[in-house]
Amino acid sequence: MSDNASKNTTGHVWDEDLAELTNPLPNWWLWAFYITIIFSVVYWIIYPAWPMGKSFTKGMGNTITYVNNKGETKTTHWNMRAKLMKETNEAVAAQKPWFDKVAATPFEEISKNAELMQFVQSAGKTLFSENCAACHMAGGQGKLGLAPNLVDDSWIFGGTYEKIQETITIGRHGIMPPKGGSQINDEQIAQVANYVLSLSGEPHDAEAAKAGDAIFHGEGMCAACHGPDAKGIPEMGSANLTDKIWLWADVPGAPDQVAKVKAVSEVITNGLSRGKMPAWGGRLSPEQIKVLTVYVHDTLGGGK
Amino acid sequence: MTTASVTANEQYNYEVIRKFAIMTLVWAVVGMLVGVYIAFELAFPVLNFDIPYITFGRLRPVHTGAVIFGFGGSILFATSYYIVQRTCQARLFSDGLANFTFWGWQAIIVLAALNHVLGFSQGREYAEMNWQIDILIAIVWVAYIVNFVGTLMKRKESHIYVANWFFIAFLLAVALLHIFNNLAIPVSLTSPYSYSLFAGAQDAMTQWWYGHNAVGFYLTAAFLGMMYYFVPKQAGRPVYSYRLSIVHFWALIFMYMWAGTHHLHWTAIPDWTSTLAATFSIMLLLPSWGGMINGIMTLSGAWDKLRTDPVMRFLIVSLSFYGMSTFEGPMMSLKDVNALSHYTDWTVGHVHSGALGWVAMISFGALYHMVPKLWNTRMYSDKLINVHFWLATIGILLYITAMWISGIMQGLMWRAFDDFGNLQYSFVESVAAMHPFYVMRGIGGVFFLTGVLVMCYNMAKTIRQGKVEPAGAVPAAA
Repeated sequence: MSDNASKNTTGHVWDEDLAELTNPLPNWWLWAFYITIIFSVVYWIIYPAWPMGKSFTKGMGNTITYVNNKGETKTTHWNMRAKLMKETNEAVAAQKPWFDKVAATPFEEISKNAELMQFVQSAGKTLFSENCAACHMAGGQGKLGLAPNLVDDSWIFGGTYEKIQETITIGRHGIMPPKGGSQINDEQIAQVANYVLSLSGEPHDAEAAKAGDAIFHGEGMCAACHGPDAKGIPEMGSANLTDKIWLWADVPGAPDQVAKVKAVSEVITNGLSRGKMPAWGGRLSPEQIKVLTVYVHDTLGGGK
Repeated sequence: MTTASVTANEQYNYEVIRKFAIMTLVWAVVGMLVGVYIAFELAFPVLNFDIPYITFGRLRPVHTGAVIFGFGGSILFATSYYIVQRTCQARLFSDGLANFTFWGWQAIIVLAALNHVLGFSQGREYAEMNWQIDILIAIVWVAYIVNFVGTLMKRKESHIYVANWFFIAFLLAVALLHIFNNLAIPVSLTSPYSYSLFAGAQDAMTQWWYGHNAVGFYLTAAFLGMMYYFVPKQAGRPVYSYRLSIVHFWALIFMYMWAGTHHLHWTAIPDWTSTLAATFSIMLLLPSWGGMINGIMTLSGAWDKLRTDPVMRFLIVSLSFYGMSTFEGPMMSLKDVNALSHYTDWTVGHVHSGALGWVAMISFGALYHMVPKLWNTRMYSDKLINVHFWLATIGILLYITAMWISGIMQGLMWRAFDDFGNLQYSFVESVAAMHPFYVMRGIGGVFFLTGVLVMCYNMAKTIRQGKVEPAGAVPAAA
């Protein structure tokens, strides 16, 4: 390009018209570059920075004092681990009075203490979200086929403070043997299913339900665990079959009577072993479990 | 200064460049379409349809592979072959090697995509390909180096043009990065699986040494090479400062290699590696900006071109996004900023302001300049270039704004404590809060992809009208 000749170029030209001017480095650019270098040197002086043989420069005037897991107080140069320990020490210390108070207060007293309940709701929400919500869902409403609803007043293993605390600590595993351990045939299973549906007012065949009643309390051995009134026995973790709460058989989602009978029949035929809740005793501290217990009982919905 | 009157078609190997240019368009559509789809998968997980082949985990490396290696790789092959021939006034060293790099590279992208869809990955980000494909990449890359350097050695002008320095740095660094990052022992000769030669923190640091310098040398240095040719060429003006180009070149390639560990702040790495990575990232800011200044100042005195020349607009806006993301990067590499930004969508937004704003935009500008010359014609429609420009710009702005808000919100939600010192939000609450921004990001992607489709239509028309004219009927050089 002709006007290039009038400018101060390096004198080289490529591909007909590509040239470079001899402009100096922009001053602001150069000074900004120097400033970043000065910033870095200051950074290197303060923080661990350069490797030196098998060690490294530790940084100056920047120590951290923390308490380690053995309870020893340590002072070191700045490092990520010490910073985390120090911040954790402070956070734990700030919460300790609250957890101590929860530990020292009986369940019934906690729920009457408005200030303590504020702490329980705050800590309980975090504990519940991080540990329980994956199965019981964020609001504790549970999920059919996975984990029971904690918001209602129905409790498979008991809904007192003590029972909830026990459930969280040691975990639960609900087991039902196929056909309740009996030898009943498919027709009998369908009859029992009709009887079970009749207990909660679901559509059913009245005649089959009558036959099922006899099997439930006799040859089918169902009453042994679910009780003669079919209301379940919390000590065994057997379900109440007379309410409209379903955990494993998708009766509410079944469109018609045939599908509902099929859903219940499948549970009777195959039994259950899926309902396994892990023990949290080893993962959470007793104080945390106590907070969680009160949270589940009072905030979500405890019962008898 | 006046060239011989031989047509460019006879003097240079344009055939391979045409092929790479077409594949650039193909991979742009494929890669960005997959990107848009997985963006909506994140917003609406039902789009998985429970089909394993199209789940996010498998399609994500297909997206990154198709855009970085398919689209980015093809445009780099095309422009580097174009630039090295024209600035050296020499035909490519070997037409055979050029063809080998074309077919080899395309085979790599296809094989990698098939592997990922079938569920194979070696789990190294941006290097997910199995070891067999890694070997193929190394072979094709060596052929590329031989062909490029061989052409340079045939040059007529004794000085090597600045664009070619950047391409040489890119070629050598990528060879080094690719080979060391993929050192592994195969389980057997027929198995797609292998064990990395590195372990633990060293393995992580090797991966991010690769990952970060892939950004530095592949997505930055090489595209700066493109910039140094197409910006002055399109503007018809000399590069602003020769001295700046030298200083920022050497500073850039020296600083970049140290910075990768900033991707691993606050993890199980030695503290001093973290400090060095952060400080070298800060010192990298001005060397990165050197390229932006040199590009934008090249236009000094001819700013009116921004109004009249839509191609120039692509080039200059790409430099603006380059300047913005190379400012953002060093800030995010500071440990305290990183404590907020790491693992959030802010990182995703940062990458895309570089990938869409810088890499893709400058590639579009280069294509609009180069394709008419390759087919001896003019662009079919300048109006459609303008439409593409606005669609792309709106798309990028929607995308990065969504990710900034979502990312900073995530970071703040994760670290929010209430008066009792308990976390204020659960993780799942932060996920729910991101939903509207995920939708907005997806819409930004649709804009960007639509722009690319407009470009493809414009290019198809251009190429068709180019073919009807007899070769040499139009003067070759601008």
